Formats: sequence, structure tokens, C-alpha cells
Amino acid sequence: MSLLQRLYAPQAQEPGKGRLASAILLTVLAAIAILVPLLNLTVPADSAFHVPTYLVSLLGKYLCFAMLALSIDLIWGFCGILSLGHGAFFALGGYAMGMYMMRQIGDRGVYGNAELPDFMVFLNWKELPWYWYGFDFFPFAVVMALFVPGLLAFVFGWLTFRSRVSGVYLSIITQAMTYALMLAFFRNDMGFGGNNGLTDFKDLLGFDLQSDNTRAVLLASTCVALAGCYLMCRAIVASKLGRLIAAIRDDEARVRFLGYRVENFKLFVFVLSAMIAGLAGALYVPQVGIINPGEFAPANSIEAVIWVAIGGRGTLYGAIAGGVLVNYAKTVLTGVIPEVWLFALGGMFIAVTLFFPKGLVGSLPAAIDWVKRRIGKRNPPASSPLAEEPGQ
Amino acid sequence: MSLRQWMRGGALRFLMVFWALAVLVPHSGASAAEDLGTLVTELGAASLSKKQAVVDRMVATGAPEVVPILEALVGRDLYTRKSDGVVVIGQKTSGGKLLLTDPLTGSEVGTVGSREVKRIKTNNRLRSSVKAVMGTLTLMSPDPQRRLEAADGLLKSSDQAMLPLIETALAKEADAAVKNALQLAKASIKLQSGSAEERLAAVQSLADRTDPESRVMLSRLLLKDGDVWREPDETVRETAGETLASMERRLEMWRTVEHLYQGISLGSVLLLAAMGLAITFGVMGVINMAHGEMVMLGAYTTFVIQEAFRSLAPGLFDWSLAVALPAAFLVSALVGIAMERGCIRFLYGRPLETLLATWGISLVLQQTVRSIFGPTNREVGAPEWMQGAMESVAGITLTYNRLWIILFSFCVLGAVLLVMKKTAFGLQMRAVTQNREMARAMGIPTGRVDAMTFGLGSGIAGIAGVALSQIDNVSPNLGQAYIVDSFMVVVFGGVGNLWGAFAGAMSLGIVNKLLEPWAGAVLGKILVLVAIILFIQKRPRGLFALRGRAVES
Amino acid sequence: MNVTGRASYSESQLYVDGVTVSFDGFKALNNLSFVVEPGEMRAIIGPNGAGKTTMMDVITGKTKPDEGRVIFKGDIDLGKRDEAAVVALGIGRKFQRPSVFENHSVFDNLELAIKSDRSTFACLFDRLDADRKSKIESTLERIGLAGERDQMAGKLSHGQKQWLEIGMLLVQDPELLFLDEPVAGMTDAETEATVELLRDLRGERSIVVVEHDMAFVHALGVKVTVLHEGSVLAEGSMDQVQNDPHVIEVYLGR
Repeated sequence: MSLLQRLYAPQAQEPGKGRLASAILLTVLAAIAILVPLLNLTVPADSAFHVPTYLVSLLGKYLCFAMLALSIDLIWGFCGILSLGHGAFFALGGYAMGMYMMRQIGDRGVYGNAELPDFMVFLNWKELPWYWYGFDFFPFAVVMALFVPGLLAFVFGWLTFRSRVSGVYLSIITQAMTYALMLAFFRNDMGFGGNNGLTDFKDLLGFDLQSDNTRAVLLASTCVALAGCYLMCRAIVASKLGRLIAAIRDDEARVRFLGYRVENFKLFVFVLSAMIAGLAGALYVPQVGIINPGEFAPANSIEAVIWVAIGGRGTLYGAIAGGVLVNYAKTVLTGVIPEVWLFALGGMFIAVTLFFPKGLVGSLPAAIDWVKRRIGKRNPPASSPLAEEPGQ
Repeated sequence: MSLRQWMRGGALRFLMVFWALAVLVPHSGASAAEDLGTLVTELGAASLSKKQAVVDRMVATGAPEVVPILEALVGRDLYTRKSDGVVVIGQKTSGGKLLLTDPLTGSEVGTVGSREVKRIKTNNRLRSSVKAVMGTLTLMSPDPQRRLEAADGLLKSSDQAMLPLIETALAKEADAAVKNALQLAKASIKLQSGSAEERLAAVQSLADRTDPESRVMLSRLLLKDGDVWREPDETVRETAGETLASMERRLEMWRTVEHLYQGISLGSVLLLAAMGLAITFGVMGVINMAHGEMVMLGAYTTFVIQEAFRSLAPGLFDWSLAVALPAAFLVSALVGIAMERGCIRFLYGRPLETLLATWGISLVLQQTVRSIFGPTNREVGAPEWMQGAMESVAGITLTYNRLWIILFSFCVLGAVLLVMKKTAFGLQMRAVTQNREMARAMGIPTGRVDAMTFGLGSGIAGIAGVALSQIDNVSPNLGQAYIVDSFMVVVFGGVGNLWGAFAGAMSLGIVNKLLEPWAGAVLGKILVLVAIILFIQKRPRGLFALRGRAVES
Repeated sequence: MNVTGRASYSESQLYVDGVTVSFDGFKALNNLSFVVEPGEMRAIIGPNGAGKTTMMDVITGKTKPDEGRVIFKGDIDLGKRDEAAVVALGIGRKFQRPSVFENHSVFDNLELAIKSDRSTFACLFDRLDADRKSKIESTLERIGLAGERDQMAGKLSHGQKQWLEIGMLLVQDPELLFLDEPVAGMTDAETEATVELLRDLRGERSIVVVEHDMAFVHALGVKVTVLHEGSVLAEGSMDQVQNDPHVIEVYLGR
């Protein structure tokens, strides 16, 4: 195998390595869930150990993006379907939660109308549209945050996978899907707040969204949800179904001629992935305080794909790492020199596809190996089995 | 109008109009007539009963300055200054004072208190006769715009007394728009005051028209006040109803024509944007997400070239596009070739990776342009021959720039087809597309052909940018606005087929514009997108897909 | 040929009856008819473009015939079924290019292939039971890959991949097997071993082998059907068809 081939060969699933990474990931998530709120709430603000509230929300936001990355990795990294429309599922989940929080505002809006959200009063609407019914109840909103993205994914996937639309065609029409949704949500008469989207939320389940306690709890919930989703995805990937979808990625025709209905498997993973993205969106909106049609922009979905590519597709923890790291880089770069961010992002797209197709996590062993070999050259006796060819 | 009124005001006006015509039609009164200045002074001094005669003499001078003076007289803004008896036009200022201007020159001659001037007295009768005579003055003005205004005024007042004037003016009117307005006014007057036969003739005279005024006029005939028809004669009513219906039908047809034109225009824009994509995506199997940015580069090249023309040779500005076309082709083609050699060639056979890498390139290009030219829209001018519009009968405008773009896109399509089918390069390109190994074995430099093909696709995008700069904002986001649509065109039309791209672009453009009137622009677009998503299910390889084994491998 | 077809129609394993498929006016299959008996091994040969792959596409549900029928086991019409349904009926297909799951171990390849509930949720909760496990192990022995059990399939040699793919078909327990060029790219030793493997399978189930390699077909010693331009040119033993003037013309006369 040439160096290039080795670089591009898909990741082999080696359970041992994954287990260590999983343990690290879950420990980090647990630490964030417990320590960050503690350091925010109990340590006095002037202490060096104090975590300011904005950081709590920022971390929560990163973890939501990480969850979106996880969902994309499941469908792309494992099933080979490059969705350029996952931002749509994320946004739909966000809208579901946003609608609940709009209803929670009650008569505390600018117009003081207990029956209608402000933007509807402004549009001179007389009554609540039917699709807003039920969003007064939190459980209903949560179910919808999963159900609506799932339903969209089901309908879309059922139509496309059945007629064997695949590869770039599929990518392009997923992009058209999120684009069409963006145009639709920009319309005022859709009843989702048009341009401005949904915002000015007051509280969630009766807890003030501005309070440190609520934000801490939201962060902890995000950690728990992410850990849960991660474990679930891991279980799925390790199951026979997981190995099958990887087989579909590598040789779809063969799987079909083994007697599997490939479209059903794709559909299952696509819907599940959309629901995880929806959940991520639902957790994201209370922490950033707004959801608007901009979330549907095709560029957002593609950006999320690059988080996965940078983190390392085909490894669930890699996607999570990518989601957090790229967004951290974005915060830092846009804070310092905003013009550089797009250059950096574009550069990352190019570099990752050309030079690190396995992403950070995938390239890590090779990097470690390379460093070891350099050291090994200096001290010849140190060449242990570790210095041998990595993995494959 | 009762007979008595007619005798009192109407008849007088009638006479005046005739007289005015007699004076004005030769358009020669100005030199021979009396000095306007003395007449104005006379007007200030004359008693109420004499004023009419003075006004008539003023009109007889035919001088254009008469109009503002008479306007001031009618508007009761004409004064004599008590100190010296000079006639002035006064306008109330915010301080309750009067700003005085000279009626002849229009220059300001000071501000005075309202006590220091005396208003020149008028009565209703004088005012209305002056008004009428003013209509005739403007109707004979050498400026068609003034004549049009006058004719519109006549339509509004629909004064029977004006009928002879209208007839005379119609006889010598050359300007189509004014003539049109005059005919309308004539019909309106006839409908209101003519005999049943005249009314019928008036209705019939409107038959060829579709403008809103005539439709309102006709529909008014079909109204009832309580139980009484506004139009007593049944034949007239029936004819009016039929005429109105046929007007609506013709109007509907014209609207469809207009939407078709807009659709073809949108289609040709999409065709321009998608043609390059059909080559890179269709022929090479490369998903170039930076294709939109190639279009944008073309548009910015146009901007730069035009700036150069503006500062170096403003006289040759109309030629700037002729220079911009090859320049835009070169710029985009070079960037495209650089992209292909520097990045895409390492990714052949892995379309999803290509998609991501080219998206990265598109971000870099966008930001580069934003850094150089700033994030705001840039002004790109149109040469004179592209400005303006062709107006058709029913108030439908076909703008010239769109017409040129339609023609232009067809030319580009023809040129690309020629290159693909008739040149050695086209032959090599098709050979590499079909069987890379075999082509290489036969000595075709596949790498160079790849680069050139990509360059060609990108260059066409650059040309599209020149065309787009004429109808859209030139901003760093220009490309993003077209990328989804162009992909839809290629996917819909079928990959690897320029005629497919043509059919895809035209049907998308036309369907979009035909949907727009009843669905709205945004909803229409959403519907088209959804339709394409559904269409793909049925024909995953597009409208003009090749079928068979070769395509699937 | 139609005459022999009709005679054994009801008890045949596979009955292809007047199938025509055209792509943009080009007839890939032109009124193609032949019969495969239960337990029979049949070799199908023909020059490139004779329609061999399209024939298999039609039988396995990938391509729908424009005209004609494909009848399995006397009364099942395959024309309206998709791939998964065809496989469920007991028809397996090996591709021309060895297609195994390169990123899965040899064992996993067989586990994914072995006869089991094919529904999505069954796969999600599936645990490999002892029966299936022992069947996989014995198939590994049979295809000679027991030693490579836990290797990634991508690391196998070309010949080993071909065997693994045959093994993946065997664990499905099909009644009718289609093998598209099973010895393409194999060394002589590997080809010999494959002949052994196929002879060993003979009688166990119906097998249709599509091959270019005449020596291999000869070695199999079975009835041969020659395809040309989408229909049957000749049928009979290898010696018979080799002496058929039509066949000689098609293969040599150009």
C-alpha cells in the first residue's frame, strides 16, 4: 500500500482503541457537567477558579454543535451519505423548543397578549394557528423537537433512498431541501416569526433563562444528552446493523444482493440522525436565546460537515471533538480578527480533504507514530513494537 | 350641465378655446404679439370685467411665461405691490410673510408683509375660463411631456367644451403616447355626454385598448345606481360588456407573454450560470461548489474594467463590456485551472471530498474579494444600448438588458456546443470523459485536458458573471445566490448534457415566473425546489439522462 | 431452444422466456430464452457485449425486462421483484469484480451474508447464535479462509476475495447461484482450487457460471450456453459448441 492509499483507506473499527477514547470522552463530559456549574455557582466571582456565566453558555453551545456533528458522522462517516441539509433538522428542533418558550412568555410580551406571541399580534393575527397548539406543554414540545425532524427525514429519505438517489445527487438535493425551508421560514405568513425568528424568551419550565442556575442545569443536561446519544450511536455502530451500514457505505450493490433492503437501513439511520440533530437544536435554542431562519442556510450545514471531517469521520468521538474544537477556533478567531475566519475555515476544508482525510483523530496515531519513530532514530534501542506500521 | 350654465360659462369658454386655437395653431404668435410685461402690468390695473380681455391678449402672445402667471392668477397668488404697483407672484412663507417673485423672470424680488401687497381680484367665472384656456396652452406646447400632462388633465375633467380642442390636437398630434391619451379623453367625454350612437361609437373606439383607464370607463357603464343603469342604452351596455371581456382576455394573454419573457430571461441567466457547471459536473464528474464564485469573479472583473474605462477613457465606456467579456473569461478560467491543478486533481473519483474542498475554496475566494473590494454592493454600469425598455401595447415592458442577456446566453450555448463538437480540444475532452485510460493510451495528455476542461467551465462562469453584473448586485455573495439554482438546473436537465442544461434552465425559469403571479416569488421558488426534489425521485438522472450500464459504473 | 424450454418449464429451476431489454434503442437482450434444471451447473459464455451482465441484472431484479418473463421454480415470476426479494427466494449472485466488504473482517463478511432475518430492527438487536456461528466456521474451512478469519477482507489476495464472495453466497443457502467470472485474475493454482470448489458444490444447488476463460469452462465439464448479441447462439457440451460453425464465426471470424 502506498502512503497515499494508506492515508485514504477508511478507518478500521478497532474496538480497543475506541473504548479508551470513549472513556476519555465520557469522563470529560461528566467533568464538564459537574465541575463547570460548580465553579460557576459556588466559587466567588473574583476567584481565579470562577467560571463566568457566558462561558457556561458558550460551552453548552459547543456541545450542541458537537451533538449535531455526531449526528452527521453517524450518517456520513458510517453510512456514507453526505447530507448537506442537517442544519435543517437542527433548526426544526430549535424551532420546536423556541415555540414552547414563546408560549411560556404569556402576557409578558411587548403587546401583553396572553393568547398570541408578539409577532402574531404585530401581523394582526386574530388566533393561534393550529400548528402552534400543544406547544404550551413542555413534553409535547420535546416530542415535536424529535418528531418533526424525524418525519421530514423519513419523508425525504423514503422518497430518495427508494429511487436510489445517492452520492452527490443526494447531497445536492439535501442542500435544496434546507434552502427551500430557509425561504419558507423567512416568510411572515408561515407563522414562525419570519426574518426575526423566535426570541425574547423568558423562561423554561418556570425557570428564568437568564439565571446562572438555569444555565448551569442546561449545560449539564446537554452533557447528559450528548453522552446518551454518543453511547446509543456507539451501540448501533457496533451492532450488526452498524456493520451493515458500513458495508452499505463500502459496497451498496453487494449488500443489496445479500438480500437486504438497503433503503430501509439508510432510512433508519437517516431518521435517527435527524432526530439527534433535532435534539441538539432543541438544547441549543434556550442557551443562545434565539432561533431564526438563518439557521437553515445551506452554508451552516456544510460548515457542520467540516467539523466532522476535521474531527475525523467514522469515529464518533472524533466528530464530537471536531464540533467543539472548530467552534472554539471560530470564537477565538472571529474575536481577534474577523476577516481571517472565512480564510481559516476555507483553508481547513481544503487541508482536511487533501491532507488529513481521516481528520484529527484519525491522523493522531500516525502523528504519534511519526514522533516516536523520530525519537527512535535518535535512540536505536527504543524501536519497540509500537514503532511498527500503525493499524493497517 | 344645464343650459343656463352652458350659456354663462360654457359658451364663453367655447369661444375662447376656438379663439385660442386660432391664435396658437400656427405657433408663431410670440414675435408679433404685444410685450408681455406691459400686459402683466395692465392685468394688475384692469377692473374685474376687463381682466378677461387682458388675459386673452396675454394668451395671444403665445409666450411660455404666460402659463405660470395664469396659474398664479387662478391660485390667487398674483399681487400688485402697493409701493410701486408692480405685479408680483407671492408665496406665503412660514413667518406669515410673502415671498415675492417676478412673474416674468421667476427671480425673487424680496419678502414683504401681507399688508404691503394687494391681491389681484378674480371671480369664479374668470378663474374657470382661465383654467380652460391654460389647458389649450399646454396642449399645444412643443414639449410632449407637457402635452401628455394636459391630455391626462383633459381626461380627468372630461369637459365637453374641450372636445373640439381635442379633435384639433388629435389631428396634428404625432406623439403616440399623447395621441393615445387624447383619444381616451375623447372617448370619455363622448361616453358622458354624447348621444347613444356616439356612446356606442366611443365604446367601439376603445375596443383595441387594454389600459386600466378605458377598462374603468367601460366597467362604469355596467354599474347600477339603485335600480337604474348608469348607461340607459342596452346596446351600449352589451357592447361595453363584450369589449371589456375581450380586453381582459387580451390583457391576460399579454400578461402571460410578459411572464414568459421574464421566465425565458430568468432561464437564460440560469443557463449561463449552469452551463459551466454542466461541463465540470457533467463532463468531468466534479462537483464544483466554487462555481458561483467563478461567476462572482467575472462580475468583479467587469467592475474593475469599467472603473478603468471610467478613469482612462470615459468616451469609450460603451465598449467596456466588450473588453470585460474576454477578461472575465480569462480571470475565471485561470482561477479554475489553478484550482484544478492545485487541488481537485488529487480528488478525482471522490466526488464528496471534491465537494467539500471546493466549498472551502469558495469561502476563501469570497473572503478575498470581500477584503479587496469591501462587503458592499459595487456599481456596474450598463452601456447605453442596453438601457431602456421596449414598451408593448398593454403597458408591458420588455427591458433591453434582459433581451441582450437572452441573446447572449444563446450565443454562448452555441459557442460551447461548437467547441465541444467541432474542435480537437472538444474531441479530446469527450474522449477523456468516456475512457480516461484509453485516451491516455492514445497519447492524449489527460492531465492537461482535465485542466483545460475545468478552465473552460470556469471561464463560462466568468462570462455569466459579466451578464449577471448587468441585472444583479455585484457583491461577494453573488455566487451563493445562484449556486443552488444552477445545481438544480444541471440535476434536473440531466448530467453531462448541454441541451439538458438548456432545457432545465428554461423550464425552471419559465415555471418559476409563471408560478410567481399566484404563488408569490418566494413560495413559487419553494414549489419549484420541492417539485425538483420530487422529480429526482422519478428520474434520478435527470430529464435527458443516458440510460444503460456505462452510466452506472 | 424454446421447444426444450417449454418441455421442462414446470419443473425447471429457472426459465428465461423471451426476455428483451433495450437501452436507448440498443437491444442488450433480444428475445433471450433458456432453461436451467434443478441441481444443474451451467456455463454461459459469450463475447463482450453479448448481454451476460444484463441477463444477470434481469434475473436478480436489478433491471426490469421490457418484454418476456423470468420464472423461478416453475411458478414464481421474478420480473416484478427487487433484488432483496429475489435473494430471499434463494438466488445468489457473485459480481465480476470481487466485491467483499473490505473494511470488515472475513468473519464479519460472512456474518452479514448468512441467512437470517433481513429486517432493519432484527439487525439492530441481532446476536449471532451457535448454529450460525458453526456454519460460518465450516464455510470458512470450505473456502480455505479459516486462517484469515479475523483479517480485514481488504487485505486478502484477489483470489481469496473471490472465494470469500463465493463463501458469502454459500452461507445464504441459495437454490440458484450466479457466478460472474469466478476465476478472473486468479493464478493457475487458484483457478484449480476454484474448479475443485465448484465441482464440490455440484448437485448441491443449481449454479450458473459466466466465464471468459475457456480452459476453466472446459475443466468444469458442464453444459454450455453461448450468448451473442443478446440471444442464445448455441447450447450443448463444450465440445459441441466449440465445433458449432456459428460460434466459430462469432469468436474467430471477425
